[in-house]
Amino acid sequence: MHDDARARTAAELVDQSKPAEHWPCRHAVPGRIMWLVKETGLMLLKADDPTTMALVRSKSKTGGGYVRALTLATIASGCTTLVASVLLRFFDLSNVVMLFLITVVFVALRLGRVAGVWASVVCVGCFDFFFVPPRLSFAVSDTQYLFTFGLMLAVSLITSQLAVRLQSEAKIATAGARRATALARVASDLSGAIKTEQIFAVCRDTLAPLFDARAALILPDQSGRLQRLEDVEFIDLAVAQWAFDHGQPAGRGTQTLSGAPAFYLPLKGPMAPRGVLALESEATELARDPDDRRLLDGCCSSIALALERIHFVDVAQETLVRIEGERLRNALLAAVSHDLKTPLTAIRGLAETLEQPNDLPATEQMDLARSIRVQAEELHRLVTNLLDVARMQGEGVRLNKEWHALSEVVGSALAHTKGLQGTREVRADLPAALPLVELDAPLFERVLVNLLDNAAKYAGPESTISIRAGASGEHMSLFVEDDGPGLPVADTESLFQPFTRGQRESSIVGVGLGLALCRSIVAAHGGTIHAKQRIPHGVSFEIRVPLGTPPELEIERAE
Amino acid sequence: MTSPRILIVEDEADIRRFVRLALEREGMSIFEAATAEQARIDAASRKPDLIIVDLGLPDDDGKTLIREVRAWSSVPIVVLSARDQEAEKVDSLDAGADDYLVKPFGVPELLARVRAQLRRATFLSGGGEASSVVRFGMVTIDLATHEIHRAGEAIHLTPIEFRLLTALIRGHGKVITHRQLLHDVWGPGYTDRPHYIRIYMAQLRQKLEDDPAQPKHLITELQVGYRLSGLEQGNLPSIKPQITTE
Repeated sequence: MHDDARARTAAELVDQSKPAEHWPCRHAVPGRIMWLVKETGLMLLKADDPTTMALVRSKSKTGGGYVRALTLATIASGCTTLVASVLLRFFDLSNVVMLFLITVVFVALRLGRVAGVWASVVCVGCFDFFFVPPRLSFAVSDTQYLFTFGLMLAVSLITSQLAVRLQSEAKIATAGARRATALARVASDLSGAIKTEQIFAVCRDTLAPLFDARAALILPDQSGRLQRLEDVEFIDLAVAQWAFDHGQPAGRGTQTLSGAPAFYLPLKGPMAPRGVLALESEATELARDPDDRRLLDGCCSSIALALERIHFVDVAQETLVRIEGERLRNALLAAVSHDLKTPLTAIRGLAETLEQPNDLPATEQMDLARSIRVQAEELHRLVTNLLDVARMQGEGVRLNKEWHALSEVVGSALAHTKGLQGTREVRADLPAALPLVELDAPLFERVLVNLLDNAAKYAGPESTISIRAGASGEHMSLFVEDDGPGLPVADTESLFQPFTRGQRESSIVGVGLGLALCRSIVAAHGGTIHAKQRIPHGVSFEIRVPLGTPPELEIERAE
Repeated sequence: MTSPRILIVEDEADIRRFVRLALEREGMSIFEAATAEQARIDAASRKPDLIIVDLGLPDDDGKTLIREVRAWSSVPIVVLSARDQEAEKVDSLDAGADDYLVKPFGVPELLARVRAQLRRATFLSGGGEASSVVRFGMVTIDLATHEIHRAGEAIHLTPIEFRLLTALIRGHGKVITHRQLLHDVWGPGYTDRPHYIRIYMAQLRQKLEDDPAQPKHLITELQVGYRLSGLEQGNLPSIKPQITTE
């Protein structure tokens, strides 16, 4: 019963395999082979580790490879014969034939076409020699067996051919899938790139291993000349420039300048050429393999797109900066012209009054002269601030830092604002053991002068101004405080915006430049400056600057 | 003593004028030069007691003029400069100038600097050997015995602090650059370590000044150097003698 079923299955199989001999029907066969393979529990495809991105490059089999494959095929046939001789005790001969068939298919799948053919010939030979009566002879007593031989050989040959084709198709499909994954990976890496350096990194770390090559990007400067941005020795700028100018690949493996060691592909963006990709590989066929070329071209367009995107982001940013600069400059001009003209008008009027002093009492004349001096000093402060702003913007805040004692900077600032302070009490409370800080002293003095100047202007003549300092942890804090009426605005941060003044259209001259300048100077030192209302009234400005490690000092020997 | 003779080298006529008026009011005799060439002639022929030099002259750099004058004369030189770049001040001081004023400067400031320089010149030429005791503010220093008192109280200075103080006393009234001080006190190998002076100046101020944050005598010229102001010779009767001289 059991044997019966097996025999029928085998007959069916042989039966169904028959149409394979007719070419028009060959498409029906692979499905059956798949079924066959499934039934026998064989793995058709070996899944490669998906994390390895390198593409499988089919290596042409060497002579040694054939010998090995044929030997293995022979051994497999021999083993099958042995197993079959055992099985023959229990099963019918027509069922045992199936075992040979499976062996042929298996050998064809694993060892290739030639081994498959060889295995089918050997299997038929063994079947005839060992199992078909008369045994141990190639002679055949029953002519029916001749038909079986022919059929078996044909089925073996066809299945081995089909199995091999299936395997190579699967291989191609896998390779295609890997290429698609690789391209998607390159594209997604590039889509996250917002700096040219990131694109360089994608080329180096993602693209280069993909082609088992070294990759480098060469980008043009403003005038369209390619620049060597990375220190890569295989780049020939002349070849790269040709590829860039003509929009065609050049270098190794191409028609143009094929003597060059690397292969150069132009990166064509939708708007303009964006650069050249250079690849240097041991394998020569890099430029020739059409699949590789398609993948390369895909990567190149992705890179070109990313470069173009970055280019236009830069353009947009530059435009924004220019617009912002323009806006600031206009605001500055408006504010400055107002604040410069005010003291100038006063000085001119006062001086002209003094020109005809006949009807003025002497005390009045002295008063006028004093007013001229005060206005001139105001003008001087304004111009100094303006020059500092211009210098900081022009030179991009170049600090001349040295290790200073804060007390000296404070002392100097106090000495410079002496005229302003008048009858006010100014207290400076600085600990003697304050460490040195690294400062651009004249600029930092400017910050203190501006704060003291502000306090003197806005806090009223009766106020007390105090300066405190202390070092804690990583920072040194410096406070400039007054007990005047306090800040007129709730939003203390807005005071540090250029051209904001607490009181609108105040009669007190001075562009809102002072605090903005303070903030940019302190920020350039890596510090912060903030204003706070004091309780019950008054303002406190806190400056924090980082404490570095002061330079070594040879300690004086104790006497 | 005859009235001091001052040479003003300045190309801007209005500045020349107010400087002349201010100094003449102090009883000084004034000579004016608008160019470096004129200044060279006047400096040799007029024998001034003090020269005020503008750094930006039409025909030559003021620093060149200072070097030339310094080659044959020790006359005090005060520089006027519109450039408030610290390097410029240091350069002119190293070229031989004694003090500087940054434009715009006030008349009281000008007079104070001029008087200080004239006093310093007589101090150096006059009673150098009269006494080894000098004083400023509440502080008296005996240069011979190294004894220092502040308001009657003995003050202890370390050897370096004392050397720094004596270097300031030697150059009192003029601005001494960081380089010069480092060279005088620590030696030629230390001229690029200004933080040494800053530490020791802070210590000196703590010991000698009433309010170290607002010093009256040990004055900081930020990024340029230091000056000692208000130095006087010997014991004054107003202060009780606190130290026994030889």
